[in-house]
Amino acid sequence: MHSGNSEHTPPHPIDCETAVRRLWDYLDGRLPEMTHGEVEAHLKSCELCPPHFVFAAEMRKALAASSPSLSAGDEARLRLRVRGALERVTGSGAHNADPRA
Amino acid sequence: MHIVDQSSIPSGPVPAHAGAVSRDDFERLTMPFLADVARFARSLARDDARADDLVQETYLRALQGWHTFRNDADPRRWLFTVCHHVFLRTMQRDSRYELVADDDPELDSLVTATAHWKAQESGVAQILEQMDLGRAIDQAIAKLPAHYRGAVVLVDVAGQTYEEAACVLGIPVGTVRSRLFRGRRMLQDELFAYARDAGFETATVARDPKSLPFTGSKET
Repeated sequence: MHSGNSEHTPPHPIDCETAVRRLWDYLDGRLPEMTHGEVEAHLKSCELCPPHFVFAAEMRKALAASSPSLSAGDEARLRLRVRGALERVTGSGAHNADPRA
Repeated sequence: MHIVDQSSIPSGPVPAHAGAVSRDDFERLTMPFLADVARFARSLARDDARADDLVQETYLRALQGWHTFRNDADPRRWLFTVCHHVFLRTMQRDSRYELVADDDPELDSLVTATAHWKAQESGVAQILEQMDLGRAIDQAIAKLPAHYRGAVVLVDVAGQTYEEAACVLGIPVGTVRSRLFRGRRMLQDELFAYARDAGFETATVARDPKSLPFTGSKET
């Protein structure tokens, strides 16, 4: 959504509360260019706020890395189980009639 | 953007011979996404056995409601929608369902940062930064109320956009944002609780609450 700070217009100074209210929108890249630049400028000059943004960003990284794995064996076993369940409710063998046929 | 009408997803018992369409057609279109659905289910359930039950139920419900599926729709997204719907129903049965008003997402951002500031003051944040965050994240997600978990799993774990998550969940994009921010705030709280429960908390440093940085007067 944003594409960096404007070279010509210095960002409007914002306070810490305004900056952290934009925490997640900033990290998700969903702020308009101007407000993104305001947060960025604040983080460069503030000693208090950057650790909160860094921790929040680390938490997002850990979440992205927490995607569960599924082994080939697990997938094959699950596929058999689901197919068996579908067969039980639709009737075995004949692959029930298709009303559109 | 097409938001899935969740009222079209069957919720009662699956009747015998529920599939009034060809099972071959259904399986041909849906089984290629079984692994994706399984991973999504595991992200939601955080328990492999429960996740497998969820996958099976998802496919049964999807077959039951297959006549409502539009030919131009995305089968994977449809399956995710059904899976999330079944998950929510399961969580309601488990009395872990909770949803509060999603009225001020930016306030959740503020509270998130304030909680981190306090955790820094008590030493919990620094300790947590030295721990295996992955294991803590697993436990924290498992404790998230169902509606928030759906938004967090889709956007932060599965990497979907707000718009894609809105389609799966059948809610507006703004509501995805609200639930995501609230869910992340809850997750952070759980992570700090995890560090405290693990016995890592150091002596709390008392500090005047008025020295909190977010009082609206500190301009750069």
